[in-house]
Formats: sequence, structure tokens, C-alpha cells
Amino acid sequence: MSAAETDAADTPAPTRAWYLRLMRDPSALVAALFLLAVCVVAVAAPVLSPHDPFASSRSVMVPPVWAETGSWTHPLGTDGQGRDILSRIFWGTRLTLVIGLVSVGIGGFLGSLLGLLAAFRPGLDPWVMRLVDVMLSFPAILLGLALVAVLGPGAGPVIVALAIATVPDCARIARSIAVSVMNQEYIEAGRALGLPARQLFLRYLLRNCVSSIMIFISLRFGQVILIGAALSFLGLGARPPTAELGMMAAQGRDFLLFAPHIAVIPSVMIFLIVLTANVLGDALRDVLDPRLRS
Amino acid sequence: MMTQVLNRLIISIPVLFGVLLLGFCLLILVPGDPAIVLAGPTATPEVVEAIRQEMGLDEPVLVQFLSYLGRVLQGDLGRSLISNKTVVSELGAAVVPTLELMVACLIWSIPLGIALGTLAAVFRGRIIDRAIMAVSVAGVSLPIFFICLMMIHFVGVQWRLLPFIGRGGPLWTVEGLRHIALPALSLGAIFIGPVARMTRSSVLEVLKLDHVRTARAKGLSETQVILRHGLRNALIPVVTLVGLQAGYLVGGAVVTESIFSYPGLGRLAVGAILSSDFPLAQGAILILALGFILINMVVDILYALLDPRVQA
Repeated sequence: MSAAETDAADTPAPTRAWYLRLMRDPSALVAALFLLAVCVVAVAAPVLSPHDPFASSRSVMVPPVWAETGSWTHPLGTDGQGRDILSRIFWGTRLTLVIGLVSVGIGGFLGSLLGLLAAFRPGLDPWVMRLVDVMLSFPAILLGLALVAVLGPGAGPVIVALAIATVPDCARIARSIAVSVMNQEYIEAGRALGLPARQLFLRYLLRNCVSSIMIFISLRFGQVILIGAALSFLGLGARPPTAELGMMAAQGRDFLLFAPHIAVIPSVMIFLIVLTANVLGDALRDVLDPRLRS
Repeated sequence: MMTQVLNRLIISIPVLFGVLLLGFCLLILVPGDPAIVLAGPTATPEVVEAIRQEMGLDEPVLVQFLSYLGRVLQGDLGRSLISNKTVVSELGAAVVPTLELMVACLIWSIPLGIALGTLAAVFRGRIIDRAIMAVSVAGVSLPIFFICLMMIHFVGVQWRLLPFIGRGGPLWTVEGLRHIALPALSLGAIFIGPVARMTRSSVLEVLKLDHVRTARAKGLSETQVILRHGLRNALIPVVTLVGLQAGYLVGGAVVTESIFSYPGLGRLAVGAILSSDFPLAQGAILILALGFILINMVVDILYALLDPRVQA
């Protein structure tokens, strides 16, 4: 470490890179590392899985390795059909993350666009806000139920429902951030220079809103994962034989008495993903944009 | 005040319209021919034809929607494909249990959340504050079905303290209370976190204000300052929070009812969807959405009543 870096660590200056300030918070650091590991596991699930996640075997309900009768062949034990839980956790995490990321990504993009447009073109504002009000009156889970009723159970309808449910909240937050940016002098300056609207929107407005919006979206991520998992738990989301964490918990429900690990392990995995996402989101917000605190 | 309520009602009209459109789509967009699906697998061609006529399925979609609106306004939501009872009677039987569950959930979780949030604000930065905030972040991150499963596993099966299947009767009977206890505890558990967090930041905000300084200056005890001047003014945002979290409540009720086999609207909706009982699913989703809108309306009006500044 050079002298300059030591100095920077001793005197916290506001100009220090945001990720350095973030890493000073031990819980944020742990959360970031855990989520990184989860992403690696999700991407590399086909390589990392010790067994075929879908193949049943005769050794059903094998307890995890820390139990007396556990073994290293199946470090987390097997489920009611003799499938290796560790491998299924890897694959289940993959699907759960895909559902969460895709729906938050699509919904966040559409919602931010609506919110930014509403702030940029005040004529559009009342229309966008009415639309948002109407959308807000459908709780995500009801949208999910309705879509599944029409399209049949599956990951697709769940993603669509969660994406739609993300739009209105995101539009609201994006609008409020964009309105305060629109009042800044540099927007006025850009207008005075005669910049075309497209450039004003992309280079002046969007660039100054994007980090705050991203923080809000990251705070939504945990909630979306929870709702998606709940729908899968009810049998309305991902369908067997794929592995999804919520569905795995549901499959363990019947064995709760004899082999609680089958339901507990995937549930704890969901809990840890959502918890770390929330902790990291909170820390990011505190570091990058304390305005969002309320 | 009246204009406030009136405005709120007017805003609800497009929302209501949207909900009805959703219900209509649920019936029309079913896979296959809606008349055959609605008539059920055992229906004769005559019955199918009768349903086609009754629903006007040969008419343009707009006409179909208008006739759907007419039927809904007359309280006709069709018949369940499974039980052949009217959807309205099935829903009627499920509404009261769901309302009871929500009351039983909120009645303990909101006061506890407020108490914890106030404690955290008073002991800001100390160990109590950190512990309460850590627990509430953890609570927000727990999947609701996991809480339910743990309640069943420990309280229901291992310790045999409380029943965990079905409903025991109305809320005021002993059996009713015993049966509703576990679902209400599970559902309430996800509520404590958000309420505590909101109360904490709201109390901290209020304690900074001038009137609190005045109260301290005139020599009131700290308890009195916090309870009478701090908490009372801090509760307004908490009321809105309950409205914002109503979706959470509905979603939680759907999961909780399904797990505890509690005969409410949520279980009805999930069961109907899983058994492709489209009219019943449509009815249940319609009622749940209406309930959600109603909660939000009541909360907004309460908000205006509690905070005179909102009326401006």
C-alpha cells in the first residue's frame, strides 16, 4: 500500500471512490462477497454440481453431512426422490436468480423510462401518473395469480407478472429523481445552448439519474425474489422437474417431520440471497444517495 | 374533507374498471373455447350452446365486456366448474375467514412493530437499536412460507401447542382463536420489520422538531415527551405504510392460507387456478383486488383525517 492510499484510509474524504467507502462497512462487504459467490454458483451450476440435479436414486432423504448419518457423497443430503440437494441448490439458485434479474431488469427499464419521460415532458406527466396509479392497485401476487390462471403455471408468467409489478414503483421513484434533476441549472444551460431534446434527455437527464434509479432497483430485487419463490412454492411458478428454490421448499414440506433439511436448506438459501441483497442495497444507498433514505 | 374523500373515490373509478377488465380477460383468454371450458368437461353440446348464448361469445368483444359488467354488477359471477355452486356463494363463505386472519395478524404485529420501532429510535445507535434493526431486516428477508413451515414444525408438531390445519370457527370462540393463532403469527411476522423500520425513522424525524424541544424545556419527563409528543406525531407515516404494504398482506395471506389449509380467499384462488376452475379463479382474484383497493382507499382517507396538513 502506498503512502497516498494509507492517507486516504485514515481520513475519509467524500471524494473517495464509492466502492472503497462501501467496503468499509463490514456487513456490506460480507453481503457483496456472498452475492458474488451466489452469482458464480448460478453461472457455473452445470460445472459445479457433483450430481445430476434431476436424477432420482434409491438413497432418499439422506441427511446432510453435519448430521450423524450424513456423508460427503451428498454434502447437503438428498430429497424425497433421492436427488442430490447440493446440485439442486446450484440449479435452483440459477433459476431463482434468472427470474429475479430478468423481471427486475425489464420492469425497471420500462418503469424508469416512463418516469423519466414524465419528468422530461410535463405534458405526459398526468397520463403517466394515472397509469402508474392504476398499476399500483394490482399487488404483484394477484397479477401473478391472474397470469398463471390464463397462461398456466410456469416461470414465464411469473417473470411477466413480476416485471409488470416493478414498473409503477420504479416509474414513481424515477420521476421524483428526474424532476429534481430537471430543476438543476445545467439543464437550463443545456437548453440555452440549443441542444436537441434527445441529447438533453440522454446526456443530461439520464446520466444524472441512473445511479439513484439503479439503487432503488437493487432494493426491489429482494422483494421480487421473495414473491417469485412464493408463487413457485404454491405450484404456480416453475414446474417440475426443473429446480427452483421455492419449489424445492414446497417439495420438502411433506418430509418436514423426518427430513426437515429438504425444506429448510432451500428456504435458508432464499433468505440469505434476499438478506444480502437488502443489506447491500441499503449500504449502497447510504453511500451513493442518502436522499433516498426516506 | 368531503372533497378529499370525493377525489379519492373518483381516482378509484379507472382502477375499478381495470380490475373488472382483468376479470373479464381471465374468462375470455382461457386456453381453448371459453364456452366449452366454462361448461365443464361433462357438459352436453346444448349446455355449451346455452353458455355461448348467455355470455354472448359470438358478439364483438366490447359487447361481451359490457354484458360481463352487467352480470358482475348484478352479483352474477358464474358457477364453479368443480363444485357447481355459484361463485358468489363460494366467495361469501371465504371472505369472513380472510378478514379474520387479517385482523388477527394486524392486531398484534402493528403494535409490536410500533413499540420496537420507538424503542430503537429512543436508544438510537445503541445495542438495542442495532438488534431491533437487524431483526427487522432479517424479518423482511424471510420467505413467508418458511415462517409458516417452521411454525407448523415446532409449535404444531413437536410441541403440540396449537392446531395447524383449517379453521376452528368464528374468531370469538376458543377453537377459532386456537386455529387462527399460527396463521396469524406467521403472517404478522413479516409485518413487524417494515413497521418497526418506518416507526423508527419517523420518530427520529419528529424528535428533532421544535415542539419536542419545547416539551422537554417545560420539564416533561422523557417518557411523556416520547409518547405524547413524539410517537403521536410519528404515527401518520406508519398508517400510510399499512396501505402501501396491503399488497404484501394480500400476498402473504394467499401463501399462509394455502399452507395452513385455512378456508379463505387466498386458498380458494390458488386452488381454483391449480384445478383450472376459471370462473372461481376470476371471482376470487376480483374480490382480492377489490379488497386491496378498499384498504388503500380507507388508508388514504384516514391519512387525511389524521393529518390536517394533507387537506391542502
